[in-house]
Amino acid sequence: MRIRMATRAVIGVPLLVAVGCASFPDAQTTRGLGEKMVATSYPGMPESLTRRAVQDRAQQICSKVGGAKLTQEEAAEVARLSRDSIKYPASGQLAGDWKVGANLAYAGQGGRIVGGVVEKAKENGALCSNCHVLDPREVNAGNVGPALAGYGVQRGSSEAIARLTYERIYNAWAYLPCSIMPRLGAGGHLTPEQIAHVVAYLIDPASPVNTKK
Amino acid sequence: MPVARSDIAVLAVVCLATWGAVPVLAQSADSLEVGRKMLAEDNPGELWVQRGERLFHDQRGPRNASLEQCDFGMGPGRLEGAFARLPRYFSDTGKVEDMESRLLKCLVELQGLDRGAIIQARFSNLDRASDMEALSTFVASRSNGMKMDVRLEHPQEREMYKVGEYIFYRRTGPTDFACTSCHGDEGKRIRLQDLPNMTDRKQMQAVIAGWPAYRGTHSTVRTMQHRLYDCNWQMRLPDLGFASDVSIALTTYLNYRGNGAVIQVPGVRR
Repeated sequence: MRIRMATRAVIGVPLLVAVGCASFPDAQTTRGLGEKMVATSYPGMPESLTRRAVQDRAQQICSKVGGAKLTQEEAAEVARLSRDSIKYPASGQLAGDWKVGANLAYAGQGGRIVGGVVEKAKENGALCSNCHVLDPREVNAGNVGPALAGYGVQRGSSEAIARLTYERIYNAWAYLPCSIMPRLGAGGHLTPEQIAHVVAYLIDPASPVNTKK
Repeated sequence: MPVARSDIAVLAVVCLATWGAVPVLAQSADSLEVGRKMLAEDNPGELWVQRGERLFHDQRGPRNASLEQCDFGMGPGRLEGAFARLPRYFSDTGKVEDMESRLLKCLVELQGLDRGAIIQARFSNLDRASDMEALSTFVASRSNGMKMDVRLEHPQEREMYKVGEYIFYRRTGPTDFACTSCHGDEGKRIRLQDLPNMTDRKQMQAVIAGWPAYRGTHSTVRTMQHRLYDCNWQMRLPDLGFASDVSIALTTYLNYRGNGAVIQVPGVRR
């Protein structure tokens, strides 16, 4: 892929110049223009909401045009920022009630905006099944992320696994910088307590995720 | 129609039972495609073309004028092939514009309608139709059978293209999504909804060929402006401004990447 793109650039760029097909703005200019356009493209919205469209440092690093690879330094910076962001439930309990987690895992509501107003919802859903298979009997599950059926069967439900699972949900980028997975805790979509319930749903031996049928 | 759908469901269950092991992983959303094809054969979106045509030629608004002098880039009133070249730079506004932003300009300047009111009613809901949706469908349909052909000749067009590309990969909001989060890989689904991989030219063309589209779940035709607004909504971002720079930059990027697609609108989508 990289070689093909390089070849295209070697042949393509002089060709464009030769036929006088003028230039595109460079990355720096494009970024400046783009950020200016983002700042004006949500007219009439309160600052409390337009703030969402402003990137933090990790998001900036994770926005490589063309999906280019991170440098070692960039990956390390994202991992460090992400690690520093993680907060735990006040109770210290990292695995909650798997039945509460089951409801959360299939819920997709919360946080969406219509007419400048955030939707009314008792609580935000955890969005899991949009992208992951959890309970193997549930057909309506996405595949953007890896299938997690049997997650706890493979890993057990030790304190260490609970912690790892909690941290990966709270901020997936601490373990996999710039993964597609949203930083659900760090981004404020889920509370630490909600995440603990989802952890239980994934690792509890009694959870449908882990019961063989 | 509900009968057909339940047939599909039964078929899916039978198949799952037959295949047995790990049914969820093997499940594909292809059976849904059957329903969409059936709907496309009697495309309800044709009604929007007809209504849009009437709205285009009728004398309306405070100025009691038609839209027949509206210029989509091929000269006043020339609609054939105009959509296939959009977005493009317009010297009368000094900006790159898409179909909807040109319609907005004409509704205001030719017919004397209120800009704010048009934007307020840009998308239909169950209680109210949208003139913008009907007009867009009609204007776009005048390029049916032609290939998308965005040219990036003007420096501002090239700027818009590059910004569109930048936004396409720009991760933001509480879900950390960029367009590529859902549309950058092969064979992906959100739940059972197939996601086109828009980094693949063929799939990009299939998308571009069919917007505006009749959306079954919305019971109306939606335009590309709505499609982008809707993605923003799902990303938990604020309401994307109608004809905003971001929307036009993205449309420029997507349409250019979809060049060569044979336009056939209204498409039919979920």
